[in-house]
Amino acid sequence: MAFQFTQQSTAIQPNAINLENQVKKSFRVKSLLFGLCAGFAMQAHALEPDVLTVTRMAPADAYRVYIADPNFSSLVDGRMHVIDGQNMRYLGMVSTGFSGLSALSPDRSELYVATTYYARLNHGERTDVVDIHDATTLARKEEIVIPPRHAQGTASRTLIQTSFDGSLLYVQNATPATSVTVVDLRNRKVLAEVPTPGCWAVYPSPTVASRFSAMCGNGSMLTLTLDEAGQVATRKQSAPFFDPDSDPVFPMYDRNGDKFVFVSFHGKVYQADLSGEMASVEPGWSLVGATDAKAGWRPGGYQLLATERAAGRLYVAMHDKGEEGSHKNPAKEIWVIDLASHKRIARMPGHNAVSMATSRGEKPRLYLLDATNNDLIAYDLGAKPKLFKRMPAIGNTPIHLELQ
Amino acid sequence: MFTLFIKLLDRLFERGTRQVAQRSSRRGALVRIGKLFVASAFVLPVLPFDRTGQAFAAQDAKRKQTKDDTRCDYWRYCAQDGYLCACCGGSATTCPPGTEASKVSWVGTCRNPDDGKDYLISYNDCCGKTSCGRCMCATSERERPGYRLGLHNDINWCMANDTSVFHCTTALVVGLAEGEA
Repeated sequence: MAFQFTQQSTAIQPNAINLENQVKKSFRVKSLLFGLCAGFAMQAHALEPDVLTVTRMAPADAYRVYIADPNFSSLVDGRMHVIDGQNMRYLGMVSTGFSGLSALSPDRSELYVATTYYARLNHGERTDVVDIHDATTLARKEEIVIPPRHAQGTASRTLIQTSFDGSLLYVQNATPATSVTVVDLRNRKVLAEVPTPGCWAVYPSPTVASRFSAMCGNGSMLTLTLDEAGQVATRKQSAPFFDPDSDPVFPMYDRNGDKFVFVSFHGKVYQADLSGEMASVEPGWSLVGATDAKAGWRPGGYQLLATERAAGRLYVAMHDKGEEGSHKNPAKEIWVIDLASHKRIARMPGHNAVSMATSRGEKPRLYLLDATNNDLIAYDLGAKPKLFKRMPAIGNTPIHLELQ
Repeated sequence: MFTLFIKLLDRLFERGTRQVAQRSSRRGALVRIGKLFVASAFVLPVLPFDRTGQAFAAQDAKRKQTKDDTRCDYWRYCAQDGYLCACCGGSATTCPPGTEASKVSWVGTCRNPDDGKDYLISYNDCCGKTSCGRCMCATSERERPGYRLGLHNDINWCMANDTSVFHCTTALVVGLAEGEA
């Protein structure tokens, strides 16, 4: 309190010497007054003065939602919102710097943010780091300096991921030459930087920590296996499985068991096994029937798909009247697809979603981000998806979700 | 300047993609894109992420115009993604005072309604100051994912500048599209 008063005094004093005297005098007087008042108040009302502390979050349930928000109107100041998706309540924030990319550890104990800081906010020396935050307290605890090349792209799980066991972190780089920085999380140091020319995104192997894949401009999947020193041991390129000219595949994915699920601009579904030295991709099939294709129904958005793993279902953000350039349009509907039979089993309202994710574990929920008002919308899944709750207006430009 | 950027691109990105394409592409798609870059565009930098609601709004403006470069329906902005420099103290072809032109860019193809021809557009960002915040415009005709990085706009094309802080985006005509005379 007294400190606040002296701050106000300094703000209006033009003369430096007078200012110092004023500050001291003001501080003494105000401190004295504050002490007297406080003492009187306590005597009169036996008031316990508040003591400022920092909130400790309750242990997370399966519905904690982490929302990446690059804050487009002031990109140097990105953030992540942490939401209690059971009660739709704001829990706290993590600062993510300039064009930060974030990933959670598999056990959800830590949050990794690859980002850029300039010494003087918008100029000066550039330092890229992986900031490590304690996901249970949201306190920043460490940093690892990485090569100043992290891809300053829209926040996405395709640009940063840990290995399946959490021992390594893969960070996409772009200068615009493309490469991947491999961070040894156990020893808190950069292990290697691996070139991935013509390819994009990081898809960690579900079975080998030192292996990841990337999607390439010729429609193939590149898989790299590293040795213990981080050097490339094997480098295998699959046969092309999609045509990037006529029907490009979105790099965004979700997992169906050990398989990675992708969709194309026109609605073909591909499932890839990325566990081996070379990627193996099942033949694609269309989630859009002939009639719907005629009406121009297509997938669109950013994080435009999510899987409900136990049920083997795929949720895809869809819009009609699709055309060249509509591939980021918000959803008019969410289509629910059975991955085993390839059949559409439900159509849900789209909520103008551009991003979505499902919770893990029992009683899964689907969380959608409405691009028009930044609302977070939750659906209980099951035989028939049912609207659970809506939380309005989260952040400035939220774009990506991860669940506990 | 033109040659410099071609060299930069070739060194940093293009050569690698061509190798991949030549090794395994059935149709050599990247080779074609590579030729397109070398033959024409890749002059400068540009573009960042997207505000999708606004992108959607921009899609509604089907009719393009050629007079007002402060509006998202200006013909060159068919694959824009950023604050229009024309609203930030610059224009479709100039950066605002005190900013820096980006060293790399991504390339779109837009049709000029006045002559009906398709032109290659280099979307260069202007860099070094915080986001302009005016006239957000996000469209994505012929935009492609990051595995075709030179056609990708969900990334900051100030990335190769000493200060990669993104301010706004321009749209420079750098050539006629393939097949146009």
